[in-house]
Amino acid sequence: MTVTYKKKDFASDQEVRWCPGCGDYAILNGVQQTFAGLGVEKEKFVIVSGIGCSSRFPYYMNTYGFHTIHGRAPAVASGVKIANPDLHVWMVTGDGDALSIGGNHLIHAMRRNLNIKVLLFNNRIYGLTKGQYSPTSEAGTRTASSPMGSLDEPFNPIALALGAGAGFVARTVDTQIPHLRGVLEAAHKHEGFAFIEILQNCVIFNNNVFEHIVSRDIRDDRQVDLRPGEQMVFGKEADKGLKFTPDSIEVVSAEQADVWDPSGEAGAKAYRICQGSERGDIPVPMGILRQVQRPILENDIHAQVAEATAKQGEGSLEGLLSAGDTWTVS
Amino acid sequence: MQRGGPSTGLPTKTEQADLMQAIYGRNGEAPIPVIAPKTSSDCFWAAMEAVHMALTYMTPVLLLSDGYLGNGAEPFRIPDLSELPEIPVSHPTDAETFQPYSRDPETLARPWAIPGTPGLEHRIGGLEKADITGNVNYEAENHEHMVKLREAKVKGIAKSYAPTEVLGDPTGKLCVLGWGSTYGAIRGAVDRARAAGMSVSQVHVRNVFPLPNDLGEILAGFEQVLMPEMNRGQFSRLIRAEYLIDVISHPKVQGKPFTSTELLIKIEELLG
Repeated sequence: MTVTYKKKDFASDQEVRWCPGCGDYAILNGVQQTFAGLGVEKEKFVIVSGIGCSSRFPYYMNTYGFHTIHGRAPAVASGVKIANPDLHVWMVTGDGDALSIGGNHLIHAMRRNLNIKVLLFNNRIYGLTKGQYSPTSEAGTRTASSPMGSLDEPFNPIALALGAGAGFVARTVDTQIPHLRGVLEAAHKHEGFAFIEILQNCVIFNNNVFEHIVSRDIRDDRQVDLRPGEQMVFGKEADKGLKFTPDSIEVVSAEQADVWDPSGEAGAKAYRICQGSERGDIPVPMGILRQVQRPILENDIHAQVAEATAKQGEGSLEGLLSAGDTWTVS
Repeated sequence: MQRGGPSTGLPTKTEQADLMQAIYGRNGEAPIPVIAPKTSSDCFWAAMEAVHMALTYMTPVLLLSDGYLGNGAEPFRIPDLSELPEIPVSHPTDAETFQPYSRDPETLARPWAIPGTPGLEHRIGGLEKADITGNVNYEAENHEHMVKLREAKVKGIAKSYAPTEVLGDPTGKLCVLGWGSTYGAIRGAVDRARAAGMSVSQVHVRNVFPLPNDLGEILAGFEQVLMPEMNRGQFSRLIRAEYLIDVISHPKVQGKPFTSTELLIKIEELLG
């Protein structure tokens, strides 16, 4: 059965409580549009979130939703997916929730490769608690909790996901809706864990933090959209391209650009292109940085149970209770 | 599974020092039932009761054991399956009548809708919710109402308990009141004291929260209440607060269980 929905079918009746101008509105809009077009029954979606501004997301989606505990959304999402493999489990988190409070949960979810889609809204700040530097704030960021500038180096979420073995790693931007929708659709189609970093503007506590990447007048030159099987081309006129050399990534003409392969060389190219490009000469990679097929945990769990059942039978509680060292008292 | 604290403390030794944390360890006024098995074989039945309670009342339940029971061993009579209680569960499917925060009038449990059921899509989570609808709600009166509702649900669980057993006479000079793994040592001491003609009885609480409804009346039937426990008197503070009884706390925090002889000496001292 093919179901058809409109965007509004995925909107709950609850008042959205993000600040006016927050990038989260655009993401919510993009997710609702995307879900409406996936052909999946509405009741099959479960949105699991942690804590923070981003994690209010489930309340605004007319699907099953669970606003869980700080950093622990991957654990709950894993449980939902393992118990109900036919559900479509999407997780919404932020840079603090995912990378600081729940960093451990996140890397192990990626390592285990459940078929869960994770949207990490990265605004490089703790917004809900009114503006403290986060694990993605650039060193030197002045905030309420770092008045002289933060001292610690930030995580690169893409590099972290690649290192943790995520099978699908992508990046998009809150306000670039067509691109965001394309990435979400690709994540939906990917069988396995999908990690999507969404650059998101916090208009109150970290306004324009990504302006050097996403500003309309420069973004064509500062972003390269990585599309599997296509050349790495960028620029307003789509006249520039990227080419990998043994020691660097060079800007070349569009014709000379390498074809992007997100599956190759154990992610080495993805790792290279996501490193240090933000303030450098080459544009910031967007789109699909990594896509490889790996064994899916919940499938393997259920297969193992089926295998054990086939070998040893269904088992019985009575049998279990009387197993081991038992004797009869007469 | 309690062990000697604090933190890693005495990893292989026993203690009952996490009672307060088990009962009061949550954010805000959010009580949960706590069940403390009294013997190694009772762990089986306590776990069964915990699952039954969790599914009947739709609440987390804390099963509070300790190192003495965990490392202990005793003969366990394997139950016939027919002795095990049924644990009925039901899942709503009617989208017309479903309300995620409606309550069963008897148990005050919320319905258990399974994700994937058409028309029952709803959201749960840590923010305070409005009664019945389950929408996020910040209103002052609603919050207090919901706090009281959650409290009433957990308190109501005590109605399901079997009557509290008194080992020995139902009234008398001394009641030795315990909980958890001290059962055996207390039982031994009380048996010996009774054999010697002393007016002493034993009451052992398995449902440490919420407390049994008949406990206050039972304790009022004794002149003195002695409370041995492997902590600094946590349960005795609860009993004092709940029933205004001036119990005699008998704490021991050595990572070792009580022996029945040391308890017998204490009983003799009180009744001597």
